[in-house]
Amino acid sequence: MKKVFTLAMLLVSMQFVVAQEIPRISVSFTNTDVSTALREIESKTDYKFYYLESWLEDIKVTGSFQDMQVSLILDDLFKNTILNFYISDDNKVFLLQNNQIYDSLPDDFFGKEEQLTEDEPGYEDLQDYGPLFVNTDDGSNRGMLVVKIGKENRNNRRRTFTLNGKVVNSDNGKPIPDLAIIVQGKDIGTSTNASGNYSLELPVGENIIQTRGLGIQDSRTKVILYNDGTYNFQLNESFEVLDEVIVQGNLDRNVETALTGVTLIEVEKIKNIPLVLGERDILKAAITLPGITTAGEGAAGYNVRGGRTDQNLILLDNGVIYNPAHFFGIFSAINPFSTGSAEIYKGHVPAEFGGRLSSVFDITTKDGNTEKFSGEASIGPVTSNIVLETPIVKDKSALLIGGRATYSDWILRALDDEQLNNSTASFFDVVAKYNHTINDKNEIKATGYFSRDEFSITSDSIFDYSNRLVSLKWDHKFSEKTTGSLILSNSEYKFGIEFDGESNDDFDLGYKNSETEFKIKMKYLHSDKHKFDYGISSKLYIVNPGDIVPLGNASDVSALTIPEERGLESAVFLSDSYEVNDKLLIDIGLRYSFYAALGASQQRIYQDNAPRNNGTFVETQDFDKNEVIETYGGPELRFSARYFLAPDFSVKASLNNAYQYIHTLSNNTTVSPTDTWKLSDLNIEPQEAYQASLGFYKNFEGNKYELSLEGYYKQQKNLLDYKVGAQLLLNEAIETEVLQGDGKAYGVEFLLKKNEGKLNGWLGYTYSRSFVKLDSEFNEERVNNGEFFPSNFDKPHDISVVANYKFTRRFSASANFVYQTGRPVTFPIGSFAFNNSEFVFYSDRNKFRIPDYYRLDLSFNMEGNHKIKKFAHSFWSFSIYNVLGRNNPYSVFFVTQDGDIKAFQSSIFSIPVPTITYNFKF
Amino acid sequence: MLCLGCVEEFEPKINDFADFLVVEATISNEMKHQTIYLNRTFTFEDETAAPETNAQVRVIDDASNEYAFSESSPGTYTSLVPFQAQANMNYQLKIAMSNGSTYSSDNTSLPTGSALDSLYAERIVTDTGEEGMGIFIDNFDDQGQAKNYRYEYVETYKVVAPDWNAIGLENIPQPVCPRTVKVDRTRDERICYGTRVSNEIILASTESFDENRLSKFMVRFVNRDNYVLSHRYSILVRQHVQSNDAFSFYDRLKEFSSSESIFSETQPGFLEGNLHSDTARENNVLGYFNVTSVSEKRIFFDYDDFFPGEELPPYADPCQRSKPKVAAGHGPEPRCILASLVDLDLIRYVVDNEDYIGPQSDGGPFYVVPRVCGDCTVLGETKVPEFWIE
Repeated sequence: MKKVFTLAMLLVSMQFVVAQEIPRISVSFTNTDVSTALREIESKTDYKFYYLESWLEDIKVTGSFQDMQVSLILDDLFKNTILNFYISDDNKVFLLQNNQIYDSLPDDFFGKEEQLTEDEPGYEDLQDYGPLFVNTDDGSNRGMLVVKIGKENRNNRRRTFTLNGKVVNSDNGKPIPDLAIIVQGKDIGTSTNASGNYSLELPVGENIIQTRGLGIQDSRTKVILYNDGTYNFQLNESFEVLDEVIVQGNLDRNVETALTGVTLIEVEKIKNIPLVLGERDILKAAITLPGITTAGEGAAGYNVRGGRTDQNLILLDNGVIYNPAHFFGIFSAINPFSTGSAEIYKGHVPAEFGGRLSSVFDITTKDGNTEKFSGEASIGPVTSNIVLETPIVKDKSALLIGGRATYSDWILRALDDEQLNNSTASFFDVVAKYNHTINDKNEIKATGYFSRDEFSITSDSIFDYSNRLVSLKWDHKFSEKTTGSLILSNSEYKFGIEFDGESNDDFDLGYKNSETEFKIKMKYLHSDKHKFDYGISSKLYIVNPGDIVPLGNASDVSALTIPEERGLESAVFLSDSYEVNDKLLIDIGLRYSFYAALGASQQRIYQDNAPRNNGTFVETQDFDKNEVIETYGGPELRFSARYFLAPDFSVKASLNNAYQYIHTLSNNTTVSPTDTWKLSDLNIEPQEAYQASLGFYKNFEGNKYELSLEGYYKQQKNLLDYKVGAQLLLNEAIETEVLQGDGKAYGVEFLLKKNEGKLNGWLGYTYSRSFVKLDSEFNEERVNNGEFFPSNFDKPHDISVVANYKFTRRFSASANFVYQTGRPVTFPIGSFAFNNSEFVFYSDRNKFRIPDYYRLDLSFNMEGNHKIKKFAHSFWSFSIYNVLGRNNPYSVFFVTQDGDIKAFQSSIFSIPVPTITYNFKF
Repeated sequence: MLCLGCVEEFEPKINDFADFLVVEATISNEMKHQTIYLNRTFTFEDETAAPETNAQVRVIDDASNEYAFSESSPGTYTSLVPFQAQANMNYQLKIAMSNGSTYSSDNTSLPTGSALDSLYAERIVTDTGEEGMGIFIDNFDDQGQAKNYRYEYVETYKVVAPDWNAIGLENIPQPVCPRTVKVDRTRDERICYGTRVSNEIILASTESFDENRLSKFMVRFVNRDNYVLSHRYSILVRQHVQSNDAFSFYDRLKEFSSSESIFSETQPGFLEGNLHSDTARENNVLGYFNVTSVSEKRIFFDYDDFFPGEELPPYADPCQRSKPKVAAGHGPEPRCILASLVDLDLIRYVVDNEDYIGPQSDGGPFYVVPRVCGDCTVLGETKVPEFWIE
């Protein structure tokens, strides 16, 4: 291939002779325009300057020089600019932007070995050095923006430089997170973080940088790099943002990262998944992906890879949300408009997270728009939602406020059915986020969140619960290589039941828990090969397990308060992302987790080697406030590795373990979400899990198709389960009702995604099993003969298909199909006579299954037109949930009718539910 | 809004009905012929349990003593010799079924116990506002050994039929409808003694108490509107001191049978006792082999003792008087009403209907009441129990 060299090359290849007489002058400038300064030098010497006026705009120079060579004066004047100069032997001074003009060939131009200086940064990347020959036209790059970064430095021996910067949306100036930045043909890439910042190690010289992201027009920029530098991208929103579900995030991210079992869900991606009651929902989208399920429609909580629902750490801007669901899980409590993205770790969990065994849902709220006032709203049949963003200090700080509420109360009252008429059901959630960029080095983000649900389960009871969280994050850049974040968060979850019936047992019951966390997380980009993350965290839990008070004077309920529980969970963590070579990337982390159960408390002591019950109770031991009752802890390994078998085909493996010190007490068969959380104490040990996973990831046709196959095996210890006949709520001696046993789970997850084209979407299939074993030498502590039995959420087959089809720019349709094996359940299987009475007896735990679950949803979307000057982009979405009208059981129960026990299943949406939603964005 | 066609019945896929052995065995420290009951589980459609017959039942102890049982009636096995459970001895129940399968219990020992201190009745108003008689016990184990108690009771009460009459009714066959005539009654149906055995699980524990004292523990409550209180009432309370494991079994059984609140459902599952199949690994036996130390007490009281001069509780039936017609309808096959009621033994005579003049009359020749109002044997036996003291 014929190379065409630039001016630089031509100049270099000329023969130059250095002028023999070197004139010296004295000049002095104070904040003078460069052009003025140059004219002054011209007037004092024979030099003639050649330059483009536009290069010198706005450049001021300052300096005082006595009897100095012009070249030295110019060196000093231009030292803080991107200008270089070359003085020809006929006293012509050529000013140049970026390029350094060499007057001789570099020493190793013909392949001579060079000497290395060890203290030179990046020396290990040194392959060759010297002038840069930029190939400007290979015919394919016409029309591409060309930018030059940094000033070429004659003494430069480094061959890689750091390019960093920020990517913003040119329309509104908002940062664009999770944008893929790829260097064409060079196997280098990264993605922007939540603030739109990126950093790339690039080889010196010409790099063609491509960006691809959701709803953002693809761009290609030729960056000619001479030194470390900054380049900010301003990208346009693509029109597709309004009419396509784009299932491509970080292009080849799935193949490239070292982590197994990571799922990124972006709000834009899920926009066209058919809605239930008009709500687009980030967590609902999560369960269409392999490995994440719920126990059923309307069941709160997620089961990730055969884990219990209490094993997920659900974070909103670093604060924990204990119950991220409205209405028993029909809606998620996270406002979709305010949400940026949700990263779900179900395999490898980074070392910075801990305290839950199965997964981390790391949900981030969008940063507010610092440029202009904007917003997004939707109006649906059951809920309405609005998010507003406004700059506080332009380009520096902004506030985002979101609110969502239902008017179902009004709908219920309008219904004819008397029972429904008296029911209430309402919820709302509000979120506010403030982000403030103080300067290059400091950024502060604060989030506040509150959600509340209130509904009546029966006509004489009112159930309510709420989540509250505040979090504060301060990001500080210590140096180019070291950044740190200080995070403070506090969250609270509580519920209450008010029962006001006919008889004298009216009561008001309350439960509350809260946690306060302090965390420091540091990032140290040691080199290309090693990137370290490390930090510490500490969290104080306070649980009020419940109190009950009589309601009204006529109530005979006696007041009872279960005493408060406290615990402190702390951790130190360190991880290194180590690029061993081009193919092998290792992410190795260690976390040491430590827990102390704290007083004040009364702990019940039981006989050793005996089942725990009232009969083996020995004594009560008192602990003072903050006295350590018991400590638990241990090291946690977080290891993950990726190896490229081919550029678009990788294999990954990971090994993890974790401890969990807080457990839910949940009667799985229960209808109401009265799950309480219990801290580990003298009698209840922490849960532990070990997971190994292996996966293969392959992209086809330039990332148009993504295919992944991932398998895992998980072992768990000390899972909390319940004795047959256990009663959990308001129990003072809960340890006599619970059992701790082993768990094992394994599965294979298959996912095929089509990212582009008129038809796009994904197909996921999971085969997974999840088992529990509760064994003991004592009858009452043994379940199912002490053998492994299927857990409550063991659903071997799970298929989901999400497909979108775009007819025209404005019209599109999408479909969502889900099939799952029915979950295990314990049935009454007969009667027996005993003690002069008749009893029903149950099967072994979870011996039977409820009917299989399947559902098809469809939706049609219509865009408003794309006139630029229109006040708002709008779109209509019409969807039908459960098109097939399948009565998917949500719970099963048994009723004795005419002496027969009959099985009933209740479902929430057993008929097709159509909804129409209007969304607009401004 | 949430319930768009919520609930529907479905057919659970329960392929094989679980036909299990049910063992109810309590061996006590009383010297007597001990009894063990064996029967089968039954489906929800069936009414009663089928007995397990022709099984070989024996209890063996540490000292290699073996007590064989024989089937005294279907499903009821009685020890061949009287024996009593001894302290510091382990007992094991062995069952060999006619089909060859065998079952064993865990080793079970006799918990040391104390005698029931006192049993007494008081007129009370309960927490829920009901008035009636509470039957209480006081118990104190100064040895501090017994902690888990289970109570059974047998109540016996005198029943007096309010509309008893010396005259009865009898049918004389006729071509169309039999003719009903008055006769003298031969059977004594006025005063009976009813008996009811407890079927609830009554448990008490002193585990969480500072000392092993149960005071004023209510074993039974009888509402003042219950006819059993009307005349004379007696209750025998049996106290079983049982092991911690047995207590836990009964406690779980009780939780299954108690009504459930929607807020705290009980964890369902197979209720494992202390019996296991020797051959199969699966759970296929229900019940419990219990060794208890028993003591019992009986008390008597009259209605007048606690409700002097007050109106008696209503009888078991409102005893509505009626005058059934001889026949109703016309044609060759009229319905014979009165004679049918007599044939089916559903009524008792009270007095003649003065207004009766013939088939055209409004009503029949006699005023009658439901049988229970004139015949106490519906509610009990006329034989005075041996223990009865007036």
